[in-house]
Amino acid sequence: MRPVPGRRLFRFPWRTAAQVAADVDEELQFHLDMVARELVEDGWPAEAARVEALRRFGDLEGTKKFCCALDREKETQMKWMQSLEALGQDLRYAGRQLWKSPGFTLIVLLTLTLAVGASTAIFSVVDGVLLRPLPFPEADRLATVLPTSGEGNWNAFSWLNYVDLRDQTRALSGVAAYSGGSINLASVGGEPERLVGIYATSNLFPVLKVQPLIGRFYTPDEDRRGGPRLAVLSEELWERRFGRDPGLLGRAVSLNDEPFTVVGVLAREDQYPATGDVWIPFALTSENLEARGSVFFGALGRLAPGVSFEAAQTEVKGIGDRLAQQYPESNARLTIGMVPLREWMVGDFRTPLLVLLGAVLFVLLIAAVNVANLLLVRAAAREGEVAVRTALGAGRGRIVRQLLTESLVLALLGGAAGVWLAVWLTKGLVALAPLKTSRLEGVGVDSSVLLFALGITLLTGLLFGLAPALQASRTDLNGVLKEGARGSRGRAATRARSGLVVVEVALAVMLLAGAGLLLRSFDRLQSVELGFEPEGVLTFRVALPEAKYDEEEKLRAFTDGLMARLEQMPGVTAAGAMVYGLPMAPTGNVFSFSIEGRPPAPPGQSPILRVGSVTPGALRALKMRVARGRGFTAGDRPGAPQVVLINEAAVREFFPGEDPLGQRILLGWNVDGVQRGGEVVGVLADFKQDTLGGEVEPQLFLPFAQAPLRSLAVTVRTESDPAALAAEARARVLELDPSLPVYSLLTMEEMVAASASQPKFYLLLLGGFAAIAVVLAAVGIYGVIAYGVRQRTQEIGIRMALGASRDRVLRMVVRQGLTLALLGAAAGLAGALFATRGMRSLLYQVSATDPAIYVAVAVVLVAVAGFASWLPARRAAGTDPQLALRGEV
Amino acid sequence: MPKSSSDLLHGTVAVLILKALSWGPLHGYDISRTIRQRSEGALGLEDAALYQALHRLERKGWVAAEWGLSENNRRAKFYQLTDEGRRQLQSEVTSWRAYVEAVSKVLETA
Repeated sequence: MRPVPGRRLFRFPWRTAAQVAADVDEELQFHLDMVARELVEDGWPAEAARVEALRRFGDLEGTKKFCCALDREKETQMKWMQSLEALGQDLRYAGRQLWKSPGFTLIVLLTLTLAVGASTAIFSVVDGVLLRPLPFPEADRLATVLPTSGEGNWNAFSWLNYVDLRDQTRALSGVAAYSGGSINLASVGGEPERLVGIYATSNLFPVLKVQPLIGRFYTPDEDRRGGPRLAVLSEELWERRFGRDPGLLGRAVSLNDEPFTVVGVLAREDQYPATGDVWIPFALTSENLEARGSVFFGALGRLAPGVSFEAAQTEVKGIGDRLAQQYPESNARLTIGMVPLREWMVGDFRTPLLVLLGAVLFVLLIAAVNVANLLLVRAAAREGEVAVRTALGAGRGRIVRQLLTESLVLALLGGAAGVWLAVWLTKGLVALAPLKTSRLEGVGVDSSVLLFALGITLLTGLLFGLAPALQASRTDLNGVLKEGARGSRGRAATRARSGLVVVEVALAVMLLAGAGLLLRSFDRLQSVELGFEPEGVLTFRVALPEAKYDEEEKLRAFTDGLMARLEQMPGVTAAGAMVYGLPMAPTGNVFSFSIEGRPPAPPGQSPILRVGSVTPGALRALKMRVARGRGFTAGDRPGAPQVVLINEAAVREFFPGEDPLGQRILLGWNVDGVQRGGEVVGVLADFKQDTLGGEVEPQLFLPFAQAPLRSLAVTVRTESDPAALAAEARARVLELDPSLPVYSLLTMEEMVAASASQPKFYLLLLGGFAAIAVVLAAVGIYGVIAYGVRQRTQEIGIRMALGASRDRVLRMVVRQGLTLALLGAAAGLAGALFATRGMRSLLYQVSATDPAIYVAVAVVLVAVAGFASWLPARRAAGTDPQLALRGEV
Repeated sequence: MPKSSSDLLHGTVAVLILKALSWGPLHGYDISRTIRQRSEGALGLEDAALYQALHRLERKGWVAAEWGLSENNRRAKFYQLTDEGRRQLQSEVTSWRAYVEAVSKVLETA
């Protein structure tokens, strides 16, 4: 009755459903046969015994079904358990292998941590700024609608054109208009404060589909001329100034010296068009609503249900074309265009962020290639081990899986550390990035970023693991076992590693070329001719509210008084005020104009230039150079002849080959029936206006005394440290009017630096990536050459024994490294020619194919490669031929 | 002798099988004979129920199966206890005894 042990397997091969059924059948048939046999022994006839056995069994078919179902389940479970068990085995083995060579493991992990960390950090910024959807419901249906004058050139709406568009469009379910401005918040206990105000039509909120955090928004009835003074505060202002007090609703706050009733609070993420402090009904503020040519509104539309973006674009353009025909004198060149809102909001950051992402993925690729190289070297060293395992019956698949497991373990460990690093890097990036976008606030390592990190980790793991694994699995058993530990197929393996190094060098060259171009561009920016002297100048802003300063005389009196007080401060050599025109502070106040004595321009085609208003002291404080004629003097007062200054760019554009001095320029700007403008008495040397890299545009200045405006930018030149003057300057303003907030207190040098901060940021990042890439490439070259030298020790020994000199050996080895480097550099430069095209818009006065940069990059890389190969070459040259020949090295 | 296996409590089938296997590996037919003999014919197990229970126990991992050769040289599926099955048997025997004792006490006092 003892069972006779049958073939005992470690494990049954997996059974199909049919095999399971056959097994159950066989088991039950055996039972039936045994019962029948017993009955026959008891004297039953064979046929009757068979029937009786069946009867005694009971429900045969049901049992079969039941057992088959259970067995199939069992089979599936076993399959899983076996895979898990194999995985566990692989993992344990991988852990042991990595632990056995801590140096190798550490280098690989460090490389991967850096690469995955940097990639993930950059991706988190790209994701947060470019990819994450806008916070508004159905945000992909929102679009900015604006007049345009060609690709990427956007202008503003005039009120009347906006109203016509709003009333005529069917493709948009709503169009809201807004304009930005600054508003003084009177002190509530503390200092007066300068706020960013947004004047928006009441339909802005319905178009955005946002709800107030508390309270309500103003209604169309309330958004009219002479309507109630209502304000919607930002959550941030509500928190900072009013401690999130819900009782603020219905109370009045003083804005620009007038009481506004707070009706609601707008949540932080719902702010539009910009990070603002207070939203105010549009109609309240608006002067110049009647002039079709007076443009200062942005507009935001929402696509009507079922209407495609393209259809709306066509309709809106048609409306614009009709308006142009209808009002040729002001609208002659009107074209209305549309841009999806998200593109509008992130457009400026797309190119630089994508360039950075591309660069960091290059670094990741180089890291992967480097690790692959290290693994190849290791695989060669492990040929013996693999051969033994193969000889013991391990299949090729099993060995590939084992080696891949090791790679993936490395990748996952590196990836985990990389994510940890990315959390910190991302925080640093957000803190340091001079990107002026509110979308940076939400940037962090979230689920989509983690998914990205996991993705690139697994991908690099597979990438660097597959080649060595496949190579190792192809090991020729006999060859290795006979030759002992020494590699059998050195040649193929060496070629693979050399190929990887060439790739690595090429990638590094491309990165280095990009960084070089940015560096050169940044250098150009730094040495740009400013046209003014920022050293020793302090600037700040003060805005004089209309309620209190309602006459030009009051504006003049305040400004004269302030300048006198500032110039009395010790060390101050000049003080002045500018309205529109302070360098490095973008304010585009543009007017059309005509030159007296010339035929009038055709309708809608009047020339335009930037217009600002300055006191004589401002030109002295900034040391702007008068190229011809004179600057402004105290004599240019109301009552005296009207005069203007223009810059050289204006002369070049509007007075080519003519003497501008003495000509009269009249602006399309009337104040109380008087047309502003006057005789050109001087020409200012060109100075950089909005940014360091921008082209200088035609500019005109009016004397402040003849054209006083409210929004003052004050400039103070001192012989000492301008920053030290800040507190006292502020005090001088408050002496004159304690309700005025002083804001944007900065030295001029800080403003110049801020203007270069974005290019600097991109340069630092790309430069950092390039440096990492070069180091990794150098390590790669070193690794391959050093390994090659070790493999060839005997050969080198023979050469030396046959009379090769040390120098000759040295040259031979270095030449190998240089060959790889040159191949890589050539490929890299070719690649860079294409890749750097994408960064053209980031460059200032540097061609994306600047030959000097390309040559420099190639030289740097080849020099680094030479050094990286010289180190192992020196060791090779030091080989003792006798020891080498005996195989003892 | 009970009329059919349905008279045996469900869990009882399992414990009887486990007990039968505790003496060594058996195929299904032998298990049924062993149970019948040890109970001196008092306990008969319907074959269908026996095989269903065996496969259930295999699914749970309390018994492991292996093909072997029967005494008349036919391929037969032999079952044997796993470590877990052995533990299970112990705990079921213990609780069965406690149950029987409790029931007996009630019956005796009645």
